[in-house]
Amino acid sequence: MTLIPRLETERLILRAPSEADLNAEAEFFASDASRFVGGPLRRDETWRAIAMMLGHWMIRGYGFWGVEEKSTGVYVGHVGLWYPEAWPEAEIGWTLMSGFTGKGYATEAAQAARAHAYDVLGWDTAVSLIAPDNVGSRKVAERLGASHETDYDHPAYGTLQVWRHLGPTDLENGGMEAYA
Amino acid sequence: MPKNIPVIETKRLVLRGPEASDYPNFKATFTSYRARFMGGPLNTYESWMLYAAEIGHWQIHGFGMWMIHDKVTDETYGMAGGWQPAGWPEKELAWVIWPDAAGHGYALEATNAARDYAYGELGWDTAVSYIDPKNLDSIRLAERLGAKKDHEAATVDGNDAVYRHPAPADLAGSQLAHGIEMEVGHYADPMFKPKGWALD
Repeated sequence: MTLIPRLETERLILRAPSEADLNAEAEFFASDASRFVGGPLRRDETWRAIAMMLGHWMIRGYGFWGVEEKSTGVYVGHVGLWYPEAWPEAEIGWTLMSGFTGKGYATEAAQAARAHAYDVLGWDTAVSLIAPDNVGSRKVAERLGASHETDYDHPAYGTLQVWRHLGPTDLENGGMEAYA
Repeated sequence: MPKNIPVIETKRLVLRGPEASDYPNFKATFTSYRARFMGGPLNTYESWMLYAAEIGHWQIHGFGMWMIHDKVTDETYGMAGGWQPAGWPEKELAWVIWPDAAGHGYALEATNAARDYAYGELGWDTAVSYIDPKNLDSIRLAERLGAKKDHEAATVDGNDAVYRHPAPADLAGSQLAHGIEMEVGHYADPMFKPKGWALD
């Protein structure tokens, strides 16, 4: 079994996804805000999505973390490394629950996920797949220093933008802070 | 994380947790019409995600679907075990056999072992199987396992029939249990070459 590592950032804790996150995730996936990330989903479908996140860790050795606000323990979303079949390559993904956007949490957690990918897993590149109308997510990608490289025709989600992240050497040369 | 997935040995089979390397056979079945009674056929993305969910189910519930391996060759024949995703009224005993592996009694042998484990180790006091009424092979297997149609029980979505398995006390030492053991024993016996065709 893959042990899911626990990461900490200044304001957030990244830990294993859990069935305890179902209420928050089901509320999010019932809402229109989920339209960019495969929603809306029914509650039972959302349960399966959490099971998938856990299974992804076991299959790939990495996956989405459940993200909590350090100060309150409140669940704010899932952020992590995602590579199911039919994905063009491994991606850094972020989904924040409604009410927790606009605080820089996605950027903060995605930076930690990216550092894990490069420093622990040895990735030499990473992308993020973003729905063309998902303005909020594109801004996160820009803040992370990624750039829109090409488009990908996903079998289930239609056309998605492929954003290429800075590689490990780019980050070393430029310094993380330059893009934070 | 929860404890590791237990391993069960039967006469001919080893049941182990689903692993990444077993995925191609799962995919071949779930992207084919063999999966027509199990929500399929699925596209490759849906199939992979379902496989991930099978593994995640173990993490969440501490039980789930085992991968059925041949004890000698290690090749996979299908899956069997416990299944209760959100929306399932009760804990289910479920099975799926790859098309090429049907007709050898593997589903009977594996599901019978999974039921023994659920009753003996997990302490289940009942179990059901949700079966599409058109899935005659699966209905026959449910009946060979001693399950009976439960008209009162809640279904998953109204399109499935509920087969209730005999309770642990009714199964232990029963003629049914001996009959299953004998049937499985026959399949495992190289001298036993019956005419005809067992369905699963």
